[in-house]
Amino acid sequence: MAGDQALIEVSGVHFAYGGHPIYRDLSLTIPRGKITAVLGPSGTGKTTLLRLIGAQLRPDQGTIRFDGTDVHALPRGELYELRKRMSMLFQSGALFTDMDVYANVAFPLREHTALPEEIIHTMVTMKLEAVGMRAAAALMPAELSGGMARRAALARAIALDPELIMYDEPFVGQDPITMGVLVRLISNLNSSLGITSVVVTHDVKEVLAIAHQVYILADGRVLGAGTPEEIARSADPRIRQFVNGDYDGPYSFHLQGGRSYLEDL
Amino acid sequence: MKTRRTEILVGLFMLLGIIAAVVLSLKVAGLVLDSSSDTYTLKARFANVGSLKLRAPVRVGGVLIGRVERITLDGESLTPVVEMAISTRYDHLSSESQAAILTAGIIGEQYVGVTPGFYDEDMGTTYLKDGDTIENTNSALAIEELLGKFLYNSSSDK
Amino acid sequence: MPQDALAFLGRYALQRLAALGRSTLMLFNALSGVPRPIRHFRLLTAQIHFIGVQSVIIIVVSGVFIGMVLGLQGFNILKNFMATGSLGTLVALAIIRELGPVVAALLFAGRAGSALTAEIGQLKASEQLSSLEMMAVDPLRRIIAPRFWAGVISMPVLALLFCMVGVYGGKLVGVDWLGLDDGIYWSGMQASVELAGDLGGMALKALVFGLVCTWIALFNGYDCKPTSSGISAATTATVVQSSLAVLGLDFVLTALLF
Repeated sequence: MAGDQALIEVSGVHFAYGGHPIYRDLSLTIPRGKITAVLGPSGTGKTTLLRLIGAQLRPDQGTIRFDGTDVHALPRGELYELRKRMSMLFQSGALFTDMDVYANVAFPLREHTALPEEIIHTMVTMKLEAVGMRAAAALMPAELSGGMARRAALARAIALDPELIMYDEPFVGQDPITMGVLVRLISNLNSSLGITSVVVTHDVKEVLAIAHQVYILADGRVLGAGTPEEIARSADPRIRQFVNGDYDGPYSFHLQGGRSYLEDL
Repeated sequence: MKTRRTEILVGLFMLLGIIAAVVLSLKVAGLVLDSSSDTYTLKARFANVGSLKLRAPVRVGGVLIGRVERITLDGESLTPVVEMAISTRYDHLSSESQAAILTAGIIGEQYVGVTPGFYDEDMGTTYLKDGDTIENTNSALAIEELLGKFLYNSSSDK
Repeated sequence: MPQDALAFLGRYALQRLAALGRSTLMLFNALSGVPRPIRHFRLLTAQIHFIGVQSVIIIVVSGVFIGMVLGLQGFNILKNFMATGSLGTLVALAIIRELGPVVAALLFAGRAGSALTAEIGQLKASEQLSSLEMMAVDPLRRIIAPRFWAGVISMPVLALLFCMVGVYGGKLVGVDWLGLDDGIYWSGMQASVELAGDLGGMALKALVFGLVCTWIALFNGYDCKPTSSGISAATTATVVQSSLAVLGLDFVLTALLF
């Protein structure tokens, strides 16, 4: 992980949401051209990390650099220029509900380029083919299943050929087949287009199969980092519990704090 | 096609707005689009114009023929002069015509009523032209004066 | 206890103030920046269609009925004073000076304002606003700005329509049903309604109401909690705040204009 290879450097980020601390001194780097998985239990603010990178949220402390530029120090106009180089796949897909799939995928192209409609048509068809959704071009988002919506959203996310795609919980609520399809897609897009990918998830097994680099977040900081093999071999009981999905371990099933059970009764 | 329909509807909507604005200005606010070329000015001297307002109607037998343009006070004789813009369609008003300030109903608006006079060339009457003055006028009925007269008369009778 | 009440009052005032600041910032950011005429024109027509064209029916129907009621009540009262000749004046001045802009704005807030809030709130809840932002498309300029201009343009048009059909509604009852003379109805009106003062004032009121109602609606949607209950609370807030703002501003504008 040499410095010139890192596309994103997160250093010393503190972030609190509504008085509730989410990150305490979080630092990590995301290497260029690789798939980086960010794992962690629900509620550890993994999505928040993506929003911080996209500069939709501003950290209380610390910096986040995208290709060497501090994203939070940029003026509005330059930030929007920078965002053209990244894209994000939202958990719900976030397709525009008033447009069909074709118009959704064409949207970033029409918005940011002055290309003639024939070229846009070619590009949209290619992107839809890449996610296997060419046949669904005329459907409205409401007519799509969850998995199809996510694939359509993925086609939209790669429409402008970004350098970075951030996947927010891409596997949540999908059946095993769809999950397999999405895993393949993420992996193929990375290898064929060389897009740097960040996958935020708690579906450990799926993502370990394709990731080059893994971070495990807990308690607002990085708990463990390394290649999937290193994570799988880790001796840290907390990592073991998370990777194996054990019930018993350092993380208790009950939320900590508050009054004791007896008192509540 | 859908955008085209939207655009047409929006166009109609804006057109409706313009029509409403025009109707309101013409029909409700009584804006007269006629330029001065379509009207000619007549003057009338009254002893008292009462509460005659600008743009009050000028009527012949109840028919609108023009509107009051200006109300001024003649500097020498100190009598009010009312200038009226009369439509050129009605250019056959004899110089013997009478003008009176009348009231529509008891508490209605005041207007200028014109009673056309006879026309006989042998007797030297002419048609009123632009800038002419109607000599024969009846002033506004001032209720307070009437009342005053009535009270004065009735008290002196005794 | 008194400290608690005072603290509550202070907190409430600060929250309101912060919301005012956020909403001003939102509007400023939405309206700043270089317009792109062709694309923005498309977005604008789509929104005028949604906000203006689709409100025409309710505005016209309400306008006719309010004009008819004024005609009926006015005629019956003026009859007692033998002054039915002033019916036109009464109907026109009541509608143009007050009822037209105010009722049209209240209907506008209920019909278009609530729909705008719900739409923006839904876009926010389904992450479509965030998604736009990450696609490097500023949702303030893409979503908020065209809706704002559409509201500002549509409201005066709707108020004009309302006034026009209202005056004809009064005529329908007064002249066509109750037998008042057509000429008296119109000439009484024409003698008392002034173009600049009354119609201009009406247009100015409508413009201000349109601006305020649209602003309130958009901000409530943009600032709402992205949940079902958050959206419904925001929608209610839009209608309540818009109505109060319209009535309050109407008094201020009337005092200044007439």
